Amino acid sequence: MATPLEIIEKKKNEAIERLGAKVSQSTTKINVGMATCEIAAGSRNAMAVFRDAIDSGDIEGVVLGQKGCAGRCYLEPTVEIFVPGETPYKYGKVDAERAKEILQRHLKNGEVIQEWLI
Amino acid sequence: METKYTITLCDAEFSSEHSIGLKGAFEKAAKANSLESGLRFTTCKTLGLKDKGAIVVVNPGYFVYGDVTEELVNKIVAEHLVGGEAVQENLIKEDHLFNRSFKTFGDSEFFGKQLRIALRNCGNIDPDNIDDYLANRGYEAIAKVLTDMTPVDVIQEVKKSGVRGRGGAGFPTGLKWEFTQRSQADEKYVVCNADEGDPGAFMDRSTIEGDPHTVLEGMSIAGYAIGASKGVIYIRAEYPLAIKRLEKAIVDARNAGFLGTKILGSDFDFDIELRLGAGAFVCGEETALLNSIEGRRGMPRPRPPFPAQSGLFGKPTLINNVETWANIPVIILDGSEWFSSVGTENSKGTKVFALAGKVVNTGLVEVPMGTTLRDIVYDIGGGIPNGKKLKAIQTGGPSGGCLPVEYLDTKIDYESLAKAGSIMGSGGMIVIDEDTCMVNIAKFFLEFTQDESCGKCTPCREGTKRMLEILTRITEGKGKPEDIAKLERLGNMIKKASLCGLGQSAPNPVLSTIKNFREEYEEHINEGKCRAGQCQSLLSYVINDKCVGCGACKRVCPVDAISGEKKEAHLIDQEKCIKCGQCYQVCKFKAIDKL
Ligand SMILES: Cc1cc2nc3c(=O)[nH]c(=O)nc-3n(C[C@H](O)[C@H](O)[C@H](O)COP(=O)(O)O)c2cc1C
Ligand code: SF4
Repeated sequence: MATPLEIIEKKKNEAIERLGAKVSQSTTKINVGMATCEIAAGSRNAMAVFRDAIDSGDIEGVVLGQKGCAGRCYLEPTVEIFVPGETPYKYGKVDAERAKEILQRHLKNGEVIQEWLI
Repeated sequence: METKYTITLCDAEFSSEHSIGLKGAFEKAAKANSLESGLRFTTCKTLGLKDKGAIVVVNPGYFVYGDVTEELVNKIVAEHLVGGEAVQENLIKEDHLFNRSFKTFGDSEFFGKQLRIALRNCGNIDPDNIDDYLANRGYEAIAKVLTDMTPVDVIQEVKKSGVRGRGGAGFPTGLKWEFTQRSQADEKYVVCNADEGDPGAFMDRSTIEGDPHTVLEGMSIAGYAIGASKGVIYIRAEYPLAIKRLEKAIVDARNAGFLGTKILGSDFDFDIELRLGAGAFVCGEETALLNSIEGRRGMPRPRPPFPAQSGLFGKPTLINNVETWANIPVIILDGSEWFSSVGTENSKGTKVFALAGKVVNTGLVEVPMGTTLRDIVYDIGGGIPNGKKLKAIQTGGPSGGCLPVEYLDTKIDYESLAKAGSIMGSGGMIVIDEDTCMVNIAKFFLEFTQDESCGKCTPCREGTKRMLEILTRITEGKGKPEDIAKLERLGNMIKKASLCGLGQSAPNPVLSTIKNFREEYEEHINEGKCRAGQCQSLLSYVINDKCVGCGACKRVCPVDAISGEKKEAHLIDQEKCIKCGQCYQVCKFKAIDKL
């Protein structure tokens, strides 16, 4: 019989596979902070901007996820953008306006908005 | 040119001169390869890899190099930065549990100066997706324990790690586990204390919201170690999102076979349920918490018997704090030897603090024990905003104390903070600048504890009320010369004569501010002066010659204390003035002085 360690190894690999099915080598991932503090700072608005853009097909090859609080209170809401092969971009104070600009400039045109990076 | 590579130099394991040397070497080599404008340098304090010499992290890709010499730097520049191929032989490839968030955040200074154990996954994984937790070696610790450790092995490992309770008192966790394991009973319980009642503290909420499974896993490991099959998480109803995440995590864990019967194919059964608290501070005290779970009034009971002997429903019960639980999987997978390599002699590992108050970077920080207050306030916290002067640091919330600037180099560990006159507490840290009145801050905390006292013991119930009356009159300029001595006498009596930690520590904010800021108390009492300008009743508002007679102040004054014709200088009648400060707020010409 399989030991608990063997079972967990299998479960881990299955989990990675399931996650990988969503994110291929070329997909960009967006993480929006969704803890109480982030939501209080307005992260739902940023989430909505990205969600709408993906749902309407405005951007493609992008997956949207949520994460907890990383501890950067005064810069919340925070958003990370993971582009394969690049250092993760960490944006602070992402309200709906900033989210729209990040969408236009960074996600569509590949321009990193330096002054908003954490 | 855009940044192509971010080089993070790690300077705690090695001397910082050495890392400056390495930076120089990088710059030189980069220049030789005309790459200099594409590099960005950041520093980090520690990666928790003491035995790996000087460490350099290259991003993108999170390549961690150990034992870095100037020679290796040349190689890294030539082969990795220019050639695009990492230098394999010096790469550290172990998949540690600690510091996982470094892959995402390590190149930013705020995070670089921390070491994350309890918060390793926070902000890094999707808390609602068990797959994300599994992909980060989630539930591997419980699997390891079930595969090749006996309960006694587990307890030994936790003992050897040196971890101590993060809920406030700092009791050695392994020892508590051992006591509970040795208690004989047909049933035992594991309890997670997620009551978190300190005003301003949110470490536990963030941990649960960011990584709920780690708490479940930590508790299951303890269940196996002490022989319990039931766990209870006591969490305040004011944390709806944390509760929602926990509920989902519990269901997901059950469905995946990490909770319930025959966990991971073994003979171990363990399940967890939630109990919601109404949000009373005293219910964080362990015996009051147990009463509350049992459906009784949340009042502390005398110890002994300790919960380890007779806890929930009279059965042996192991209670630990959320952050303590979050440390357990790391101790199991990264090992007690590694864990105890972090920190000071008697305080191992890290501590999470909710950094708040007059500091630039407010937020949640996790630092190795032994980090100084100065490091936290200036290095991580970014110092005091608006060019103000630091006055004190408050740790331990309503049970703690205020340390003046002289104590900035105090190391953060249980003993050093206690020796300096404060406590580690559960992790509140409030930075206080010159604009804050120390009497007022003591009053703030006492108002809280006075309100939260359960009322069982007279000294705590009545004594804190009397102390608060005295403090109130001091801040109103009606203090009497004997008041300081009275506060001290009352405070010490309450500490000695109270049953639980609430009463035993309630006077601390007052006593510590009297000890360290006595002159502020004396100024209030003897001169009717508040140097911070915070005590409203001690102020007077006076109109100066910048007044243009616009009449704005006259209109807002609720007691008609201001007189004057339009376009002529106005006057405040000090007899009538109730010092509400509304005129001061509304004046556009800086014509009102606050004296
Ligand atoms: C008034 C009072 C409030 C407390 N509140 C909490 C709390 O909110 N969370 C917590 O974990 N411990 C709290 N404690 C400490 C607990 O009694 C207990 O020591 C702790 O939960 C043990 O866990 P640990 O060993 O992991 O720290 C409180 C203690 C007192 C006296
Ligand atoms: S010390 Fe205070 S809070 Fe604690 S049991 Fe006594 S009255 Fe209640």
